[in-house]
Amino acid sequence: MAPNELLLEVRARRAYELGRLRWSLRFAPAVAAAFVVAVGCGRPLDVCGALGAAVLLLAVGLSFAGGEAGRAVTPGLVAGSFALVLPLAVRTIGHFCDSAACMSLCMPACVVGGALAGAFLALRAARDERGRVFLAAGVVIAGLVGSLGCTLAGLSGVVGMLAGVLVAGTPVLLAARR
Amino acid sequence: MVERSERAELRRLMERLAEGDRTAFGPVFVLLWPQLRAFAVRFIGAADGEDAAQAALLKVFSRASEYDRERDALPWAIGIAAWECRTLRRRRERRREESALAPAVSSAPSPEEATIDRDLRAAAEAVLGELRPIDVETIISIASGQRAVQGATFRKRAERALARFRLAWRARHGSE
Repeated sequence: MAPNELLLEVRARRAYELGRLRWSLRFAPAVAAAFVVAVGCGRPLDVCGALGAAVLLLAVGLSFAGGEAGRAVTPGLVAGSFALVLPLAVRTIGHFCDSAACMSLCMPACVVGGALAGAFLALRAARDERGRVFLAAGVVIAGLVGSLGCTLAGLSGVVGMLAGVLVAGTPVLLAARR
Repeated sequence: MVERSERAELRRLMERLAEGDRTAFGPVFVLLWPQLRAFAVRFIGAADGEDAAQAALLKVFSRASEYDRERDALPWAIGIAAWECRTLRRRRERRREESALAPAVSSAPSPEEATIDRDLRAAAEAVLGELRPIDVETIISIASGQRAVQGATFRKRAERALARFRLAWRARHGSE
């Protein structure tokens, strides 16, 4: 290859990486929207900031890297939005959790939101014939997004959501792959 | 002419690149660069073709992550190259037009110079209006180069006419 072609290849590689980074940043508005919704519904700013930053880094990083994990970003964000919205929607019906141990509505909302997220991820994995990396990346992203809402019920809310993901996701995945 | 198998290979490689598989980068470069260069050289000539092909190649790689797997990769890349060729050609034409206009623009007086010139002409015409017709005729002869009389007679008339013009100017404007 001629020297100027080598130089052109280096420039092309740089253009590809920059283009990919720009393309990966398309998730930023969705993450920002989840953050605004959570803060708008009264979640603490520091917790939401930390979770939002983690989701943003993970979504952009995995999308930039590509592969199975990169493909899991969009389904992970969608799945996480179920777990985010359900506990926060509880407030719209006039219920206000006064403690982290609220079991009447907040905790069930987290578990149901997690179950919906798990089922959604399992169906997507089965439909697109994705493997463990896809599922792992999707569950982590969904878990972080869901935590923006489920911290409403404290740490137990987050654990409940993750339990919902596993309890609903596993049978759905097994059934869909059969 | 691009072989069908080569085209299908390019499509597969672009799909992999869009997925983030960096190992597909080298083969895509090797397949795509000659095609884009040949197209651009045919489209706008050898001189600009190389530049347009390079710009197109960088754009193709910059947008590789957005590549739609439903589309054929080669027409997509050629479409980008055609656009780059047209853009380069338009830019060159605009530059040529600007450079053709540039001397005409620089030789024309600026608005400020035109205003000063107009004021001076008006002032000179006002002063000329105060002179005798023979002095006006002599000054116009100096300016135009067409003389009714020649030699010493003209020189004396010119001296007198210009002296009266200076006097009239000083009387009206205070300085020369």
